[in-house]
Amino acid sequence: MSKFVERPRYLCALGGAIATLKALPRTIAVLHSATGCGGNIANAINNGAGYLGSGYCSGQALPSSNVTEKDIVFGGEERLTEQIENTIKLVDGDLYFVLTGCMVEMIGDDINNVLKKFQDRKIKVIGAETGGFRGNSYKGYETVLETLFRDFVEPKDETNPKLVNLFGVVPIQDVFWKGNLTALKALLNKLGYEVNTFFGEGETLDNLRNSASAALNIVVSETFGVEAAKVFEEVHKVPYIKVPFPIGDRGTENFLRTVGNALGEEKAFVDRVIKEEQTRYYSYFERIADVYHDLDLQRYAVVVGDSNYTQALTKFLADDLGWLPELVVITDFLTDEQKETVSKGFSGYESGLTPRVVFDTDASSVGGYISEHWGQNTGEKYFEGFNPGFIVGSAFERDVAESFGVPQLTVTYPITNRIVMDRAYAGYSGGLRLTEDLIGTLVGSR
Amino acid sequence: MDYIKEKAPPIREDRLAACQAYGGSCCDLNSKSKKGCLYGSKRTFSQSQGCQLNLSLAILNTIRDSVIIVHSPIGCGGGLVANAGVSKNFQKLRDSNAFGLRWINTNLDENDVVNGGEQKLKEAVLYADKEYRPSAIIVMNSCVPALIGDDIDSLLEELQNQVAAKIVPIHCEGFKTKIMATAYDAVYHGILRNLVDQNGNSQNEEIITDEFEELKKKYRISRTVNLLNVSSMSRVDEVELVRLLKALDLNVRILPCYAHPDDFEDSYEAALNVSICATHDDYFVEHLKSRYNIPFILRTIPIGISNTNKWLLDIARFFDLEDQARKLIENETRELEKVLGPYREELKGKTAFVAGGEIRIITTAELLHSLGLEILGLRGYHFDVYGENLLEEYLNEVPESDKTIINIGTGQPFEQANLLAKLKPDVYVGHPGGNGWAAKQGVPVFPLFGQQYDYMGYLGVFEVARRLARTLRNTSYSRNVSRHAKLPYHSDWYSQDPFSYIDENIPEDIAL
Repeated sequence: MSKFVERPRYLCALGGAIATLKALPRTIAVLHSATGCGGNIANAINNGAGYLGSGYCSGQALPSSNVTEKDIVFGGEERLTEQIENTIKLVDGDLYFVLTGCMVEMIGDDINNVLKKFQDRKIKVIGAETGGFRGNSYKGYETVLETLFRDFVEPKDETNPKLVNLFGVVPIQDVFWKGNLTALKALLNKLGYEVNTFFGEGETLDNLRNSASAALNIVVSETFGVEAAKVFEEVHKVPYIKVPFPIGDRGTENFLRTVGNALGEEKAFVDRVIKEEQTRYYSYFERIADVYHDLDLQRYAVVVGDSNYTQALTKFLADDLGWLPELVVITDFLTDEQKETVSKGFSGYESGLTPRVVFDTDASSVGGYISEHWGQNTGEKYFEGFNPGFIVGSAFERDVAESFGVPQLTVTYPITNRIVMDRAYAGYSGGLRLTEDLIGTLVGSR
Repeated sequence: MDYIKEKAPPIREDRLAACQAYGGSCCDLNSKSKKGCLYGSKRTFSQSQGCQLNLSLAILNTIRDSVIIVHSPIGCGGGLVANAGVSKNFQKLRDSNAFGLRWINTNLDENDVVNGGEQKLKEAVLYADKEYRPSAIIVMNSCVPALIGDDIDSLLEELQNQVAAKIVPIHCEGFKTKIMATAYDAVYHGILRNLVDQNGNSQNEEIITDEFEELKKKYRISRTVNLLNVSSMSRVDEVELVRLLKALDLNVRILPCYAHPDDFEDSYEAALNVSICATHDDYFVEHLKSRYNIPFILRTIPIGISNTNKWLLDIARFFDLEDQARKLIENETRELEKVLGPYREELKGKTAFVAGGEIRIITTAELLHSLGLEILGLRGYHFDVYGENLLEEYLNEVPESDKTIINIGTGQPFEQANLLAKLKPDVYVGHPGGNGWAAKQGVPVFPLFGQQYDYMGYLGVFEVARRLARTLRNTSYSRNVSRHAKLPYHSDWYSQDPFSYIDENIPEDIAL
């Protein structure tokens, strides 16, 4: 039984679907919904994802049937047919993907009746039901991937042993998705593999179309993309593994070892790749040895965000940077089973830290957890508290950071106080980027 | 006008026969609109736009000391992330203790679609009251609960007895209307029913204990105007308009944006309602007239010298202060003309295309024209009788304007792309959502409005002149981007009629 959410950090299933398709090259989403869904989602994405902009055919350009109460007396299927027909005529794309909003689903429009009409065209038109009440953005991501895996990925008889697919990094919800995918690809290239991420730099729809030749699907998440991977396995017989999203040295070493192992790579080879990366990483990471200690820049930290980022950030802060991330707030919709799996990702730290992990979708709860964990000063002369503190979260956490008088860095959605282009936090280079941003915040007023 | 007894206001297609799909010349629009035959026009291809829920939030996210509850599945109201930081900063300009924007989404899921969402709404309301102790809890009703039959009004009436905050239901279900601006009626409907004169003092005969105090109060009210602001204007714009009104010795109460819920209680204690945008306020001022006998001014926005003069004179005439106003106007325009010369030189002969709300685009076009630019085309989000009135004046005052292209559509950048490719203006003055597309086509862009900038009154004329001139001094960014960005339309689109996908759908008996 779900509950209300105070300041959600995601959109609905439709929002996640639109975002996912926005990131897919030459793909035109066609919205079949009431007026407003497209506009609301465009605002949320353009502003909440580091000012991403309208993309190729998104924002106000996203084709939409815009049905109103008056129009849907006889159902909206005719309007949708007209809309798809004219979208194909007017808009230049290689794949057209129909999505549905709450209203049209509730009045019983069946998009499959309409999609059938476009089956024997050269132009590919597919669709999925993504009504907002089905879940949040992550549900939209899964639904789109599942549909693509079933209806767009071509069946292949032969496997390319040097090809892998990588997903679980959710476009736009992970605001740094583009840079992150580039970083993860580069790492796997170093292991000698070609990588399809579908949404990455330089990729085309062919990467997706031909992805069934892959030897393995790598899901960089314990939670996102797992259901889609199961579908891929069912339909195309490609197995999958899950590996936590990596930031910095510890996280990326684990990533390379886990993937290397699954692909049957020799340990010595993987060791060499890791050593090479670490050498470069530490050549920069050691730079702050002076300022970190001269100014005592170790901090207590609170990490707030989705299940991918929180485990990666917390491990980095604890085991790479030597900070004390004692409190983690995970804001996703998760089943009890998923919560258990996700919680396991916060144990076994090399530093020995055992962060307190809570699951809460309400933005206003964070302050309460901080007070609970570090106590509240009731006028004592000697009191430690959340001091020196630092909050790593979303733009919503600025308020609570201000109330505790601590600095804050925006890393998780929504990000309204930064511009994001190809910045990445994944991998070794991502760890350096994060260090620059964290320590940079601390020296920012000097 | 009196729709207050209804739970929800009528949609603008019905109330104002508003049009949201049209393409043609200004004089053709003017005549067709007068015949009343455009409300049925539609598109056979359309692109995403906002709904009345999104747009209601544009005003409601500014109300201080309130919590907004969006009663819907998890996505509705998602666009509020864009306002989170901004709203707090601007609220603090009016009250340094303001806590900014707080909202809750009732997160209706598949379960609730079947069983109803009222329980979740109840929990959300009780939580909001206990956790934040706000002055008002504003509940936005959306498509899904409307369709499944949640009776939010009965539930909220009952809950009002259990919470300290004033509950304000807003009926802004997106799928009811294509005219996004119906949002403003939804907002004012909720305000009128729940925040104005709740104590019933307008009807009560107060016991007069001190006749002198009573006289002072009556005098003050006789010189008080309600200035109805819009959330797209800046604080400096407000300050400029208040400055001009105070120069006429008037007291100014500013509503509704960035106001406190309590500010509406005595809002009927005013001599005159001054609207600066008919699109926003006609519903509100008409009701305040019919219920509390408060006259109103609604004709135009004070943008540009000509319209600011008209606005001031309309108000002054009401208070019999025309002479004072003329002196003020003379002083202001003389000071302004002293500095506008160099900017007029720089902008002379440049062409412009203006897009946005009907009232704003027409007055902004007049302002640009007065600075020496030629207006090649206009795009309005919708069009109705209020636009008609302004357009009529514009056609009379700006030479050759009857041939100016005008396109009516909420968003619909595909039509804009075609028009801009054909017209090739030197500058596009537009609305968020459309500006990026113009830039990608290589057209330099100057925003039609912005909360950090000044556009209104006499100061606004100077500000627009200097910022527009500055913008055009270096247009490298949009030029660079246009060389590499590709708009998504097939190349044959640009040789077609930009209005190919509009079906005017004129009823047969009017078509002649």
